[in-house]
Amino acid sequence: MRGALLIVKKEFMELSKDRKTMFFTFLMPLILYPLLFTMMNRLGSNDEARRLGRPSRVLLTDASGALAPGLRADPRHFKLVDPPEGGARQAILNQRLELALEVDPEASDRLARFETFPLKALYDRSDETSALALDRLKDFLKQQDTLWVQARLRAIQAGPQLAVPTRLEVAEAGDMGLTLGKVIGSFLPYLLVMMMYLGSMQHGIYVTAGEKERGTLLSLLATSLPRNQIILGKLLYIFLIGLITALLHMSSMALAVGHAMAGHAAAAGPGAAASTGALAAIANPVTMGLTFVLMVPLGLFFSNFILLGGIQARTTVEAGTALAPGSFVVIFLGVFSMAPGIEKLRFLPFVPVLNVSLAIRKLFSQQASAWEYLVALGMTIGLAAFMTWLSTRMLNRESAIFKV
Amino acid sequence: MIQLTDLCKAFTVKDRKTRANKRIEAVRGLSLTVQPGEIYGLLGPNGAGKSTTLRMIAGLMRPDAGSIGICGVDPAREPERARSLVGYLSSDLSVYHRFTPRELLRLFGEFQGVEAAVAERRGLHLLERLALLDFADVRMEGFSSGQKQKVSIARALLHDPRVVIFDEPTTGLDVLTAKTVLDLLRIMKAEGRSVIVSTHVLPMVDGICDRVGIIFDGVLHGDAPPRELLTRWGVPSLDEVFFKLAADAAGGGA
Repeated sequence: MRGALLIVKKEFMELSKDRKTMFFTFLMPLILYPLLFTMMNRLGSNDEARRLGRPSRVLLTDASGALAPGLRADPRHFKLVDPPEGGARQAILNQRLELALEVDPEASDRLARFETFPLKALYDRSDETSALALDRLKDFLKQQDTLWVQARLRAIQAGPQLAVPTRLEVAEAGDMGLTLGKVIGSFLPYLLVMMMYLGSMQHGIYVTAGEKERGTLLSLLATSLPRNQIILGKLLYIFLIGLITALLHMSSMALAVGHAMAGHAAAAGPGAAASTGALAAIANPVTMGLTFVLMVPLGLFFSNFILLGGIQARTTVEAGTALAPGSFVVIFLGVFSMAPGIEKLRFLPFVPVLNVSLAIRKLFSQQASAWEYLVALGMTIGLAAFMTWLSTRMLNRESAIFKV
Repeated sequence: MIQLTDLCKAFTVKDRKTRANKRIEAVRGLSLTVQPGEIYGLLGPNGAGKSTTLRMIAGLMRPDAGSIGICGVDPAREPERARSLVGYLSSDLSVYHRFTPRELLRLFGEFQGVEAAVAERRGLHLLERLALLDFADVRMEGFSSGQKQKVSIARALLHDPRVVIFDEPTTGLDVLTAKTVLDLLRIMKAEGRSVIVSTHVLPMVDGICDRVGIIFDGVLHGDAPPRELLTRWGVPSLDEVFFKLAADAAGGGA
């Protein structure tokens, strides 16, 4: 084992000499998530505040004057504008206008006759500000309809309750925090698994195919270190880098989530218990610990895969080409595990990598099942052990080292 | 001492056109002995089997047949012990460029089981001998080919090996650096080490090698002092021996 540890030492020493790689490997994950969360939060709230604080620009065609006074009386939400150049449709698509509203020219007469009058609204569903204008119009019409219906009821000497047989009262069980917790819980496992693979892939290529390409591998093999120890050392290094990367990503996420929790609790006051509960499940040390235990054999499995691909290749480019499909598989499985309702499929706990992703997802959403967790853990340990055996056998072959 | 008996090594490569496996006999029944205090020159064109032979002696490859003795140790049975007796310099002019020479030598000292203080002292002594002491603490990424080769030589000799194997040590080096390397080879000879050097730079051989073997298509021709080879072939220079062998090979004879 001494030889393997010396190789690990050599690889970490080499890594420590490259400041850029050090930054992207160790520091970047730590600042990435807090930065990402803060930016998303700021941008989201700024954008929303900007949209809500501005009146919607409406082109109103209302010859009868049925709606114009009401809309003009609400300058906080509506601003009536003159017909734009190039037509209303183009103006909406160019975001110079949010809504075009065309009211029946006989609307006032129809109202007087207790009839329904039609009105046409033109908006852009893909544009949030335009969609907001339509929502505002709907709210406005709802209030206006109530006033008109009540006037009609008064005219036929009926009580105002006649048109309101029910009244629905809605209470929110969760809130934005709970939604946030569930969303994070669904993509975080995928992100962790992916980071573990991608985080160690480049390092793995550098210490395997890279050594071959740079011509330094022979000098290493010519030392009195046993070849098995050299292989084991390389494997250990790739594994440790993957593990450290995953750990850093986890810590950084926990930090960012913790920060979000504190901010959310401060903003929502004592009623934020449900949301903080969901978020706390992610930042919980037990959840983190159980996740970490799952990541260890998964990392070993990935490391072996990278080691095999790296040492069999002649150049770093060849190794990258060979290992890139592996990242696609990991990404595909990750995306697959994020699909809604996927956890209900009975065979999933037996699909490697995917079962780890699902187990982590369930841990985070507080729906963990012990047997599913153990199956994922057992399968991944078995797979990692098999891969370790395979890679030591394969890499002891001369053809792997001196590939021509 | 290096003792090679009937050494054979073949590789299987895939023919891209026919998709069939092709067997290439890189070394065929090679036997030679290098005594302590002797420099043996292994000559031959590219692809003749020189590097394969040296890699087998260095314990990097296993022979298909035949035997190797490194100071009485069989690399097939005791690979680590055999490698600890050998200082191997590959033909690649490559070093771990992120390290300084001092760091590299310290690390390889650990790999070879040399005590840290001894490795430091020996490493610095070698760097001084190779006129590289001023660069002991400079990262090697900006080093010239000659400087890299000097560091590689120091790395190969750090554990005080009884057997020294240099694969094309002067290729790509300027005249001055090449002279430093050749001078070092002479010192190693004087220290009683068995030295085997491969090259296709023939004038180099004449000056330093006690005996020479010319390898062609995996077969060793000659194995005698350079002057004796010239007499045997009746030619004025080793270049001529080379051309004759090439002509024989092209004509089907050896």
